[in-house]
Amino acid sequence: MSQEANNTEPKLLGLMAQFDDPDSLLAACEKVRKAGYTKTDAYTPFPLHGIDEALGIKPTILPWIVLTLGIMGGFAGLGLQYVTNAEWYPFIISAKPVWSLPANIPVIFELVILHAAIAVFIGMLFLNKLPTFSNPLFRVPEFARATDDKFFLTIDVNDDKYKPNKTRDLLDGCVGQTGVIEVFEDPSPAELPKIIKFIGIGATVCALIPPILLWRAYYQTSTVPRINPIRDMDIQLRGDTQTVSPVFADGRTMRPRIPGTVARGDWVDPIMLTGIVPEVGEQNVIFLQDEEAPVEGDEKPAEEEKPAEDKPAEEKPADENPEADKPMAEEKPAEDKPAEGDAPAQPEEPEPNWVKIAPISVTRATLERGRNRYNIYCSVCHGLAGDGDGLVAQRALQLEQPTWIPPTNLHTDYLLTQPDGKLYNTITHGIRKMKGYGDQIPAEDRWAIVTYVRALQKTRTGTPEEIPAVEMKELEIKGQ
Amino acid sequence: MATVNEVIDTTIDDPGNRTPLVIGGHDYGSITRLVCGINESKTPIAWYIGMLMSLSLLGMLGALVGYLIFTGVGVWGNNNPVYWGFPIVNFVFWVGIGHAGTLISAILFIFRQNWRTSINRFAEAMTIFAVVCAGLFPAIHIGRVWVFYWLFPLPSLQLAMWPQFRSPLLWDVFAVSTYATVSLIFWYTGMIPDLATLRDRTNNKILRIVYSILSLGWTGSARAWSRYEKAYTLFAALAAPLVLSVHTIVSFDFAVSQLPGWHTTIFPPYFVAGAVFSGFGMVLTLMVPARQWFGLKDVVTLRHLENVCKILLATGSMVGYAYAMEFFIAWYGGNMYEQFAFINRAFGPYWWAYWIMVSCNVISPQLFWFKKCRTTPWLMFVISIFVNIGMWFERFVITVTSLARDFLPSSWGMFEPTPVDYGMLIGSFGLFFTLFLLFVRFGPIVAMAEVKSVMPHPHSPVHDDPHAAADHA
Repeated sequence: MSQEANNTEPKLLGLMAQFDDPDSLLAACEKVRKAGYTKTDAYTPFPLHGIDEALGIKPTILPWIVLTLGIMGGFAGLGLQYVTNAEWYPFIISAKPVWSLPANIPVIFELVILHAAIAVFIGMLFLNKLPTFSNPLFRVPEFARATDDKFFLTIDVNDDKYKPNKTRDLLDGCVGQTGVIEVFEDPSPAELPKIIKFIGIGATVCALIPPILLWRAYYQTSTVPRINPIRDMDIQLRGDTQTVSPVFADGRTMRPRIPGTVARGDWVDPIMLTGIVPEVGEQNVIFLQDEEAPVEGDEKPAEEEKPAEDKPAEEKPADENPEADKPMAEEKPAEDKPAEGDAPAQPEEPEPNWVKIAPISVTRATLERGRNRYNIYCSVCHGLAGDGDGLVAQRALQLEQPTWIPPTNLHTDYLLTQPDGKLYNTITHGIRKMKGYGDQIPAEDRWAIVTYVRALQKTRTGTPEEIPAVEMKELEIKGQ
Repeated sequence: MATVNEVIDTTIDDPGNRTPLVIGGHDYGSITRLVCGINESKTPIAWYIGMLMSLSLLGMLGALVGYLIFTGVGVWGNNNPVYWGFPIVNFVFWVGIGHAGTLISAILFIFRQNWRTSINRFAEAMTIFAVVCAGLFPAIHIGRVWVFYWLFPLPSLQLAMWPQFRSPLLWDVFAVSTYATVSLIFWYTGMIPDLATLRDRTNNKILRIVYSILSLGWTGSARAWSRYEKAYTLFAALAAPLVLSVHTIVSFDFAVSQLPGWHTTIFPPYFVAGAVFSGFGMVLTLMVPARQWFGLKDVVTLRHLENVCKILLATGSMVGYAYAMEFFIAWYGGNMYEQFAFINRAFGPYWWAYWIMVSCNVISPQLFWFKKCRTTPWLMFVISIFVNIGMWFERFVITVTSLARDFLPSSWGMFEPTPVDYGMLIGSFGLFFTLFLLFVRFGPIVAMAEVKSVMPHPHSPVHDDPHAAADHA
């Protein structure tokens, strides 16, 4: 059907014969193939059996594509499961092995099918050059019935055998043919209209904006909180630490411990914790809190100067910054003030029932641990050997700080005769300018320090007889 | 090679003579007009009424899903000890229905059952829509719906986690999503030639553009048909094992656990048979009225319906066998928990659900032994409704009775569905029928190209012409 030939005669693409029934088409196909034409095609409303042979259509390679993709899908499934479950995230769940082939078969199977099926779909479309929305055949009105009830046979003008008249005669001579039609090239320009191009480019650019913004937001820091469209558990109805609470009268969100209670899991033997043997009938829990106790309590005794190394004796490190520890000093009132010559001292209170010997088993490991902790926490003031000449102390003397109280020498008699419990209590709660270390050092470590201090003291008070024979020998050898 | 005989009763087998699959003296053009006429005619009032009903149910479903998402899964009746309530029951129910379409297209194709051509498009559409309904329930039951993609193996920078491939629930994700994808492209591939037919016939400009895009420029070229047919065969070969694997894996959700009543090896075949049964039940439910309303009696003949009835009888009996075998194994296996689970199933607090299931699934299809029942459309329709009800109850029985009566009597409890549960079950039918009504209005509901290919060739001048015959030789 020649389109109304506008300015230029449209180019002829081929000839098309129409048939009303499939058998005539098959016969015509056969005839055209025998005449040597190769650039032919038939158009039918349904797949026609025998047409492949009649037209000489070669079998498709689609099955091979599908096989390849299917095998790849299988390996992808295997690899996915191995890499993710056995290598990257090896979580043991229900005691199942992280990598077990039988459990992986279902997913491998599904992925084989999935890959193969997608290969069928894409492969079929690709081999058929679909989608192709523009086709000169669609300009032939009769061709609309190729998907209904008519059958067509085309011969391309580029076929080697094509001769304008001879080919036409051949098609005319086909039995059952109901018309031979010329197919012309689409005269409309092949270029996309400009407006569509602009819209396309514009749409693409617009579509890129959100992902770019997202990407930018992801990698940039910002001074404002991030937008949180899905809040999940980021924002909850709960009080955070350090925030004001409208619920409690004192406005604190963090609640102090209720007197007389022990937090779950926090129970420690009171002797171990306090270094004091409780009186019979006394409630253990009393030791664990009641820390509301007068904070001033032992701030007072710690008056200025007076330090004198060997005098008050019983304290441990004094702090470089005496001001800092006020709130920390939270020990039971009274405590170890007694023997002090200096301070005004409050009314005497009876000494608690101190534990005589550290309530832990003393092994070499304990001592090593004690040394390690002592060197970290205590030696800066008390010195590595316990002479009260740590680096901080030396520096303070150099600077001649008026409020400085030199740290105690641990080798004084006062300390040598102190019960372990009292020494432990001093480490825990501090004394005078020394702050308490109870918050920083766990109870076992504090006891380990006590034993290590005892060991340090022994280095001055020990006698040769106390050294085991074996080690004595070694020492003698070294001495010589 | 006469033209189509006027066969009135195709259900009578005539030895030596192939029963025609299309009756009524149709030729290629009249088949096109018959099928496309459904799309091209003026929209019937009944369609609007049906659509209105479906849309209101769909709207209710949407509102309930919104309520669920904003409130949480507590709006369902799922609670200790029955943590798997209606959502999984509905999921398995719909996935099961979704089996018939691909089964008809794939397995019947492989077995060269040409009668499938009249009903396969219809059934495949049903499959897709049923899988959509099924997919809804796992997607919304996860609590935080907005992170549903955690189900899939996608790399995430924030999560120090990964899906766990040793769990049947993850296999299920893969199986169902693969099934949905493959069914969809299979269905679409099958529709391309018919969409091209609609494209070439429509006068409506907008519809023409839509059909042109959807049909991808299909011309019906012999070379394209050659690859297309190969592709269709490959699809069938891939979809046949897939369709069996999907319900097998769905059954693993239950069978791999250790709960009495779930932990049985019969589950995979039993579930697959049940799925085919329920799928064909739904095919019949939709087909009987559709062929009536759309005047498709020549294409979907009584013989087609009879064949579906026979499949229902066979699969219904298989399901009945599975029920019996479960009891036998419970007794023969000697496990007291298993024995209790099954006695409890039939005679415990949920006895009514069990006996609804048995009477609908096992007893009602037995009517199909009688030819009268296999050839009476209204009766088939009624039985198919029973099959749908029975198969829903089957999943209910399996899920709820086992969970409600666990090992420990102290943790026993009953399942109490909420109005939201019922609303979502009913609403899922709204979703299904909305999609289905849209399809019957705008899509080719019968695979025209395939029906034409199984019709006898019309009278041809080739065979009359001695010259052409000689040419042929």
